[in-house]
Amino acid sequence: MRYGWDFSAVWSHFDMLLAGLVGTIEIALVSIVLGVLVGFVVALMRLSHRRALHMPATAFVEFYRNTPPIVHFFWFFYALPIVIGLSLDPFVAAVLALSTQSGAFYAEVFRGGIVSIERGQWEGAKALGMTYRTMMRRVILPQALRRMVAPFIDRSFELTKTTALASSLAYAELLYQAMQVNSMTFRPMEVYTTIAVMYFVVLFTVSTLMRLVERRLARVG
Amino acid sequence: MHYEWDFKVVLDSLPILLRGLVVTVELWMVSLVLGLALGLAISLGRVSGRGWVNGPAIAYVEAFRNTPVLVQLIWFYYAFPIVLGQQLTPFVAAVLALTLNTSAYSAEILRGGIVSIARGQWEGAKALGMTRAATLRRIVLPQVFRRMLPALTNRAIELAKVTSLASLLAVNEVMYEGRLLSSTYYRPLEVLTVVALFYFLLIYPGSYLSSRLERHLAARD
Repeated sequence: MRYGWDFSAVWSHFDMLLAGLVGTIEIALVSIVLGVLVGFVVALMRLSHRRALHMPATAFVEFYRNTPPIVHFFWFFYALPIVIGLSLDPFVAAVLALSTQSGAFYAEVFRGGIVSIERGQWEGAKALGMTYRTMMRRVILPQALRRMVAPFIDRSFELTKTTALASSLAYAELLYQAMQVNSMTFRPMEVYTTIAVMYFVVLFTVSTLMRLVERRLARVG
Repeated sequence: MHYEWDFKVVLDSLPILLRGLVVTVELWMVSLVLGLALGLAISLGRVSGRGWVNGPAIAYVEAFRNTPVLVQLIWFYYAFPIVLGQQLTPFVAAVLALTLNTSAYSAEILRGGIVSIARGQWEGAKALGMTRAATLRRIVLPQVFRRMLPALTNRAIELAKVTSLASLLAVNEVMYEGRLLSSTYYRPLEVLTVVALFYFLLIYPGSYLSSRLERHLAARD
């Protein structure tokens, strides 16, 4: 059990790890933005009364909720290029996998927020002669958005953790960079412990800040 | 866009994929049972009111929830054996990482359940002369498990998806076999699509039951 810790190998390659952290944050932000767009469209489709719209949207959500993300990553990187006839670089494949997958979850966040608004509010707005659009914009969405904040944050937090899977496609995010540093220094204990701490610091800081925001919003509402 | 689908390779190697699926289920069940048991112990530590138990338990839970599960898997396979002084097989390392990860999440779920039980129940049991342990076992925990069943089922579903990451440690579960087959026969589209389907069939019944259960419990309250 006696182990001589030696972090000098990590410090001398710390710039690589920092570059990886930037890569992680980059891919997370791009996928959150695209995922929200996908989720918004899918949520509207699911809420529609037309079967042709809500059936495919439901299938999309159920597929992504019941299959593991790593399968999506490999599918977009290795299988999709065969169908479309051109190869994707790891960043693009990873973003596609992450944003469609999180899109399915964001869609549920949006839908959940909208359907949680009491029926009386819909009926009241209708009784006042509001059109569907005005009702959505002025009555339903302002209330629904506030309820969406907490699950939205949870999902984005999960997505950020899932970006680590992009390492398996050789996209240079934090975990992949750590693997590179490890193969140069043969110091897995120090390298992997360091990046675990880096992930922890970033994610814990973000989740603590978000919890503060959430509490603030709850007080306003 | 013209692609000749050829599922013959998949059909021929179906026994290999099914064998992988068995390993997936093994990994899932072992980690689930161990993770829930450990999670229960940790949740009891969290509500024990003793600072020296509570503090480390919080740190443990936060460490596992604020780092990507893939990093945990890699840490337990590549880094932990160095401290341990003994190499772990991929399966054992995966079980270890997934068990600890599951225990952290389920500890939070169970803790939430325990504190949600009204104080009057503890006091009533005490008035009847029951010890704390007996109260916990006969009054509190049965209610906690029922109330938290949907959340625990969701955790089990998440775990089923996460087992696929063990493929990156070369545990020969279904994703690993799928990747091997797709690179051997160069048929990633067919093989990975079938693997996705396998996961869907494995996971969907559970998530369907869990959503039914959630609605059922919500209607009763």
